[in-house]
Amino acid sequence: MKKILEIFLGILTAMGGFVEIGELTFMMNAGSKFNYQLLWVVLLGVVGIMVYGEITGRIAAVRGQAVFNVVRERAGMRLGLLTLVAATLVCLLTCAAEIGAIALLWQLLSGWPYRALLLLALVFFLLVVWFLPFKAIERVFGLLGLLMVVFIVVAWKMQPDWGQMAAGLLPTLPSGPTDKQLLYAYYAVALISSVMLPYETYFYASGVIEDRWTPRDIPLNRVIVIIGFALGGLLAAALMSVGNQYLGPQQVEAGLPGTAAFSAASQLGRAGLWLAIGGMFFAFAGAAIETAMCSAYDIAQFFGWPWGKFRAPRNAPRFVLAWAIVLVLSTAVVMTGVDPIQVVEYSIVFSVVILPLTYFPVMAISRDPDVMGVHVNGPIANTLGWIYFVLISIAAIAAIPLLILTHGGEG
Amino acid sequence: MSARTPSTGGGRPDYVDIYRQVLDHALLDADDWLCGIVDDIEVEGDVGEPLRVTALLVGPGAWASRLPALFARLVPHLFGTRCVRVPWSEVSVLGEQIKLRSRAAVLGLATTDRRLGLYIAKLPGSERSAK
Repeated sequence: MKKILEIFLGILTAMGGFVEIGELTFMMNAGSKFNYQLLWVVLLGVVGIMVYGEITGRIAAVRGQAVFNVVRERAGMRLGLLTLVAATLVCLLTCAAEIGAIALLWQLLSGWPYRALLLLALVFFLLVVWFLPFKAIERVFGLLGLLMVVFIVVAWKMQPDWGQMAAGLLPTLPSGPTDKQLLYAYYAVALISSVMLPYETYFYASGVIEDRWTPRDIPLNRVIVIIGFALGGLLAAALMSVGNQYLGPQQVEAGLPGTAAFSAASQLGRAGLWLAIGGMFFAFAGAAIETAMCSAYDIAQFFGWPWGKFRAPRNAPRFVLAWAIVLVLSTAVVMTGVDPIQVVEYSIVFSVVILPLTYFPVMAISRDPDVMGVHVNGPIANTLGWIYFVLISIAAIAAIPLLILTHGGEG
Repeated sequence: MSARTPSTGGGRPDYVDIYRQVLDHALLDADDWLCGIVDDIEVEGDVGEPLRVTALLVGPGAWASRLPALFARLVPHLFGTRCVRVPWSEVSVLGEQIKLRSRAAVLGLATTDRRLGLYIAKLPGSERSAK
């Protein structure tokens, strides 16, 4: 019974923690600009995050080592440090965007000055990460992030064109000028990155160690990543559908979290508005905490510092300082007045660039029988892992040129 | 490169691939306290003779030289030049992590953690292990 409850909560937590501000923005805008033509990318990305989530979770359960231990061991100091610096910068930018988005949400509710709310958000996060145990952080923000399910209800009530949706599961290039096709390619890369954000696997693998999983938990790992991320993908698809039906006809971009909230209000009234705001708050807050902690996990694992919430803060002081500094720096980034949505767009595009750097060492170690023993990759994990490695490498090479050619996604 | 090893803990032959199984692996002290990563390895031996591992090196002074020249020059300014030498005889078990015979304090490892830990300990909630 206890095991079933753990699986159930794990699945819900994975689903509730799936969406953050970048994914919300890109999904809604992709739906608004390209109808369901990019739905296949969501499917592709969801299977990708399942594959790498399962592999990194399995490595952590078998070896007791998270992603950046593996990166350090297999990529060495030079390439490993490059990956660490890039991953930390991307996490910092993502964290900044989440904090900015929360301040915008609070501003919508209170009308207080944006910068004061940023500082309030910083204090809130410092206290939450300091005082709450890992399990509580994971459960509170993951489960309450499930309020985002309101967007699935909204998408359903908007009565989408199911035929068009099904057609979107197959790749099709939109007709029209080259500019539009470039924008389509840019969105395809950004969507795959937003679904496969690297911090999700870093955090997930570190969480496996925080929760003290062992090889006996490998089936649990598999069920949680497959069902939890599939449900998360459903939520992402719902956001695309809402973007298509609510924003598309009005030629509006999901530039502010409030826009998404109003789409829920349009179908479910005041209750929809509150559920959407609540869901976005917990989803963004969960992502802010995960990215800040993730940076600290990565740095500590790379340099061999004691880390983890399972240790008392005084026994992992550099880990504590690392997440606190990341939270402070992230707040400083948005305090400059830079638009959080702009920040997240850049962080998502740069995220895809570091995916291959992270996943090559992960693949190398997970297929090594000397290291993994009987838990080495099977043929499915190996085949899918390498196929996705090639795909994300292509996306990584294309990301920056597409960012420039589309003027940062402006078209 | 290979070397004789104290114990691999997994029934493997008594030699070890130094690059794959030692370099860049985490170190645990006698109390299972995580106390760094093997940043470099010290070997000795004359030309024509077998090389012998004499110590594991830990700290920025050890890993800086593994970076490209430009960054290697920056590291001392940013992180210092501290390099702790852990004699090979201190290694008790080789595995995913390398276990040492002595405590970190005796070997001069994890000094920053101990120093910072004293400051962090003054904050409320710093003693609570979040299990």
